Amino acid sequence: MISSTFFSDWYYLSIRSIKQIWRPLLALIPSLFIPIFFFVVNAASLSSFSKVPGFPENVSYRDFIAPIALFTAVFFSAGNAGIELVQDISNGYFKKLMIMPINRLAIILGRLTEVAVQAVFQGALVLVLLLLVGVRIQTGFFGVLAIFAMLMIFAMAWSCVSMISALRTQNARLVQSLFVIVFPFLYLTTSQAPMNLLPPTFRVLATYNPVTYIIEGVRSLVLGSWGDAAIWQGFLVAIALFVIMVSLTLGSFKKTLK
Amino acid sequence: MPDSIITVTNLTKTYEGGTEAVRGVSFSVKKGEFFGFLGPNGAGKTTTINMLVNLVKRTGGDILIDGLRLEDHAREIYQRVGFAMQEIGLDETATAREMLQLHGRLYHLSPERIKSQTDKLLKLVELERVADKYTNSYSGGMRRRFDLALSLIHEPKILFLDEPTQGLDPHARQLIWNHLRELNRAGMTIFLTTHFMEEAEALCERLAIMDKGQIVTEGTVHELLEKHQARNLEDVFLKTTGSNLGDEEVNANAMDPYARNRM
Repeated sequence: MISSTFFSDWYYLSIRSIKQIWRPLLALIPSLFIPIFFFVVNAASLSSFSKVPGFPENVSYRDFIAPIALFTAVFFSAGNAGIELVQDISNGYFKKLMIMPINRLAIILGRLTEVAVQAVFQGALVLVLLLLVGVRIQTGFFGVLAIFAMLMIFAMAWSCVSMISALRTQNARLVQSLFVIVFPFLYLTTSQAPMNLLPPTFRVLATYNPVTYIIEGVRSLVLGSWGDAAIWQGFLVAIALFVIMVSLTLGSFKKTLK
Repeated sequence: MPDSIITVTNLTKTYEGGTEAVRGVSFSVKKGEFFGFLGPNGAGKTTTINMLVNLVKRTGGDILIDGLRLEDHAREIYQRVGFAMQEIGLDETATAREMLQLHGRLYHLSPERIKSQTDKLLKLVELERVADKYTNSYSGGMRRRFDLALSLIHEPKILFLDEPTQGLDPHARQLIWNHLRELNRAGMTIFLTTHFMEEAEALCERLAIMDKGQIVTEGTVHELLEKHQARNLEDVFLKTTGSNLGDEEVNANAMDPYARNRM
């Protein structure tokens, strides 16, 4: 049940979480380094891939993977919410929150707001870099806003994976090790090659991988036009994931009571 | 009981795996009382106090806090109780002032009250000078004092304290005792769990001693000394629990910390 103080609880818990992003600031570097590194290396080493028959016409490989740089900037850092939550649990601070007259959904949304802010911040830095190397967003300014909206929703949904494991296992090492599941979800998609160039098995896996729809949605906003079905499909998948994952996270709160 | 602020009836807790941590505990605490809950390590004190604030689900029994049933009025009860836990849970990325302000907001206090409470509490626990330093720079004693201040931000009617002076030097312990006496004098009900006999003797008006999940004796210090024909509280403790440090047992049901995974 949403109480009259729900929004103020959410706001203050968000501010607390957002402050944690910047303390320490250096902790942000690894999650920015990875997308930039992969973008630079892949764009340089695989540039001739764009000449393969079946690759989208008039699109350079650099432009093709530019949305992936934006996506991974958000994807790699979304797990931090779980790590911060498990820190709160292991040092006992979480128990303090649990015995305050606040809505538990506000505790989750406070963390998710941090994830969303971090997604916008990191995405914006990567976007500036992409613009500097000549990548252009074909859907314009509103396309940029739509990219950030889609990435924010997806990042919040994905961060629930780490929050659920934090709540259920209360084990920092396990939550940190979940980082590895990013890779199958990222690479069993159209991140490196278009769907028609993927081997049949990969094509099936990519079709069932929800991350494919987010990547294709962002890609259409960068390279395509507003009429592309991939854009609304991307939003639909991101919103569905968000609703499912937040519900599962809320359910996991009950498991913290022994 | 009409003047009771905490009434616990036949409280039980059995963990998964069958460990009976609390076995049919009943007691009541009067308004404004300084109540001590003693027992050797592993007696079930922390489990009991955690059930009183809904951090651990009880298996059976009934809890009334300030006339309200816990399962029906948890949020109202949270507004009325403060809890300084055994584990000092501080946000290490925040300063003491920031944490007090945040907690004041989460207890929905007015900005003026947050300011006055923050200033008052920082002064009370003698941390004004370091109020704007990150809490991870504090010593153990400072952290313990600050944790106490944090649990008082909303001026609760009942203060639960779980081993509040554990790990403190005599000076810091004395300081906390003085604060607690002042709060109690001002009308606050205090529920203290401890295994320090001199702490219980110095602070508590009435005591219950718990062992192996059950209350083995209850009364004022004077009553307990008379009842058990003991010279001091430690004597009562030994007579009722038969415990000394050598009797401590490990928890056979504790999970392997490296395989702790309840997924």
